[in-house]
Amino acid sequence: MYLIIGGAYQGKMEYAAQRFGLSEEDIYVCTDDHEPDFSRRCLHHVERYVRFCLKKGADPAEKLEKWSVSHGDGVLICEDIFCGVVPTDEETRAWREAAGRCAAWAAGKAEGVVRLFCGLPQVLK
Amino acid sequence: MRVFISGGVKNGKSSHAQNIAKKLSGGGPLYYVATMIPHDDEDYRRISRHIKEREGMGFETIECPRDILKCLEKAKPEGVFLLDSTTALLSNEMFLEDGEINHDAADKIAKELVRFAESIGGFVAVSDAIYSDAAEYEALTEEYRKGLASIDRALAGCCDTVLEICCGTVFCHKGEFPI
Repeated sequence: MYLIIGGAYQGKMEYAAQRFGLSEEDIYVCTDDHEPDFSRRCLHHVERYVRFCLKKGADPAEKLEKWSVSHGDGVLICEDIFCGVVPTDEETRAWREAAGRCAAWAAGKAEGVVRLFCGLPQVLK
Repeated sequence: MRVFISGGVKNGKSSHAQNIAKKLSGGGPLYYVATMIPHDDEDYRRISRHIKEREGMGFETIECPRDILKCLEKAKPEGVFLLDSTTALLSNEMFLEDGEINHDAADKIAKELVRFAESIGGFVAVSDAIYSDAAEYEALTEEYRKGLASIDRALAGCCDTVLEICCGTVFCHKGEFPI
């Protein structure tokens, strides 16, 4: 499994698609109001899936763990939402923390972690 | 040589950019492209202080809050140009003084900056990394962020060197550190 991380609009999905040969059908764009399609090879906007899990009171790592076992060549894409001011809104604060823990968990599991900066890849692991 | 620099606020981007631009100029023409539109006396005082500081470093200041290609009419194209910052340039061109919004500003600026970079002796451009927080912005601010990111990526693509500055420390994402 690979983890691709980076701020908004930094070219994460384009990089993942090119590097791992992903087609549009391989990529699932997560939302905070639907269970993702775990049959896909790439889950994009994992931080939104984390928000979905928070609403349901579920642990995001649980299903992602199963997914990563059945998708050895899987790619997680997560937006870096971790560098701003502490959100005043409690829900956003909890979301940011849970997403941060999830990203750290994924980075620990992943065989490679790449950060995108202005469209350029930086290998973190 | 063309260098693009980004990173967080107050992390030392400008001073690195000035040193790199001076180094690249090798004693030749060295220009500071001033993008700020002053609004009150405090702004004017700050600007005149900065101009004095840069004169000491050998920079000639060119006022250019929008339409970057106009710099070519006021300066020697073989010189080195420091643009600090694309962030201000986009805000000047997108949010017009009469309150109107130019939704095409980012595309226009990205194209003009690439052309500008290719028309001059040396280029150092500074932007701001504003893409890594959990805040949900209203549509216009989000459009601005997306627009600035597209300018960043166009510049990162056309520049020889791309640097990220963090706490005054440099990480080189592309090419080589020019000093």
